[in-house]
Amino acid sequence: MRSAVFLITLLFMFPVMAEPPQGYPFQSFDDAMQQARTEGKPLFVYFGRYGCGYCEKTNKEAFSDKQVREAYSQHYVLAYVDAESGKRLRLPSGERVTEREVGTRYNAFVTPVFTFMTPEGEELLRLVGVQRIEDLREADIKVQGLMSKQGAS
Amino acid sequence: MKRISVWAGILLALSPLCIHAEPWAFDEPVAVTSTHGEKIFHHLESSGRRNIAISGDTVAVAWEDDRDGTPRIYLAHKRLDDEAFAGEIRISGPGEAYEPSLVALGDNRYALAWEEDAKIHLRLVTPDKLGPVIMLEAEEAMQSSLTRHDQGLLVAFSRRDGRYGLVSMQPIRVDGLALQPGSGCAVDPEPARAEQLYPAIVSLGDRIIVAWEDRRAGHTIIMASQSDNTKSCQFHGPQRVSDEIIDRTAVYGKGHGVARVALARYGDSKVLAAWADKRDFRAGYDIYSADYQPGKKQLFGTNVRVQDDFGGLAEQWHTTVAGDDSGRLVVAWDDRRDDNADIVLSWLEDGQWSDDFVVPGASGTGEQNHPTISLDSSGNLHLAWIQRKSVNGPTQVLYAFGRLINK
Repeated sequence: MRSAVFLITLLFMFPVMAEPPQGYPFQSFDDAMQQARTEGKPLFVYFGRYGCGYCEKTNKEAFSDKQVREAYSQHYVLAYVDAESGKRLRLPSGERVTEREVGTRYNAFVTPVFTFMTPEGEELLRLVGVQRIEDLREADIKVQGLMSKQGAS
Repeated sequence: MKRISVWAGILLALSPLCIHAEPWAFDEPVAVTSTHGEKIFHHLESSGRRNIAISGDTVAVAWEDDRDGTPRIYLAHKRLDDEAFAGEIRISGPGEAYEPSLVALGDNRYALAWEEDAKIHLRLVTPDKLGPVIMLEAEEAMQSSLTRHDQGLLVAFSRRDGRYGLVSMQPIRVDGLALQPGSGCAVDPEPARAEQLYPAIVSLGDRIIVAWEDRRAGHTIIMASQSDNTKSCQFHGPQRVSDEIIDRTAVYGKGHGVARVALARYGDSKVLAAWADKRDFRAGYDIYSADYQPGKKQLFGTNVRVQDDFGGLAEQWHTTVAGDDSGRLVVAWDDRRDDNADIVLSWLEDGQWSDDFVVPGASGTGEQNHPTISLDSSGNLHLAWIQRKSVNGPTQVLYAFGRLINK
């Protein structure tokens, strides 16, 4: 019984399908855009897809890091886009599009793609493919630096 | 993108000098709707990408836009020999409406199916008259695909069945401009174990074929099933259409992505399925196709890449396909090989896919995407697409007539 509970717990901790990593407050792209504008925080957009192996690898090997989780949860409004999904959302322009179309517009031609954006939706940095813990930490430092510069100017 | 240009140059140098003339000469594009401007967004989207059709001496285009703040369905038509579109008609009702699927019936009649407030709606229209709207009973239904069958219509769609989308089909009887839904069924006899989405449907008269996106394999694959009992709505068990690519070294994930299958009937009871396929994961989606093979164990045959080697270095989106009774077959998509999105065609030529052809008037500055195509009985190609100056800018719906010049 105990091992069954453990197995179920593991399944919930590491979902088989590529989804946003556990323990992060990911939300839909339009909700995240709105929150980013309200709070003046940069966006971190995760473009994934169902069954994406490189997403799963990045989730397990990089997003599982405690420091990464703390930094990304504090510094960014987090959005997850399933680049093959027909789920509809509203862009800041008012246009209603599917998540797949958001992936097309932001050129998520592979998955995962991670895009850091200003609250206005301007791209700051883009990471393509599998990321390691150090890649995510470096990107965070770089984007925070860019945001500080923008704030100072 | 410089990398792509270098590779393209190398490929050009290595490729044999084999130049085929394109079958169609395209007229200058014309606007389908005069209603456009800031904050108006048009979408040419439907499951199976059927947004243009030819009936009698008219061509019609159906789209969704939000000119009054709510996404609604509109249709514009023109006589084939007229230069401009006229007679723009609002098709949908008061709710939020999306993804109109359009087919031609005879006598300048058109049938449309669309999603409105999470239900599938249908109606017939002529240049002068609008038939009554019918609404199918299925709840949380979306992504409709329409086709002619016998003297009536068939509509395939995805409806929520508990946790998952379930692809279903329903026959629709046509009487003048009136429609009457018949009894439908699921296209997979087994209960859904995962999402079934974005169906496309064709009828061969004595057989009906439906293809769709399916997530039962742990990643998205294309599946199809066939009914050869068109009287009682029964389908055989579904089969996989998109190849299973096995990577024994892969530790994570279940497989590559595919998206948005389109079907077209051509020649004597032939059917082609075409879709976006990410098996070459470095270059994004490519266009792949497979032919229906009646009487064989596998419903669809070998997967074949449609776009040429130049296109293999860029990413492709929004696959659509059209065929005619003479066996002509053409696939269209949009393609970012030149940094911006252009409309590209490839056609079947001596049993092989032609070199890619970037459509003049639907390429160059700005973004040209979301193509939809139809062949008329003379083999002319009718093309509509979305034009925008920038990726998120306001849109226009444009149309170009491709006159058949090389048979």
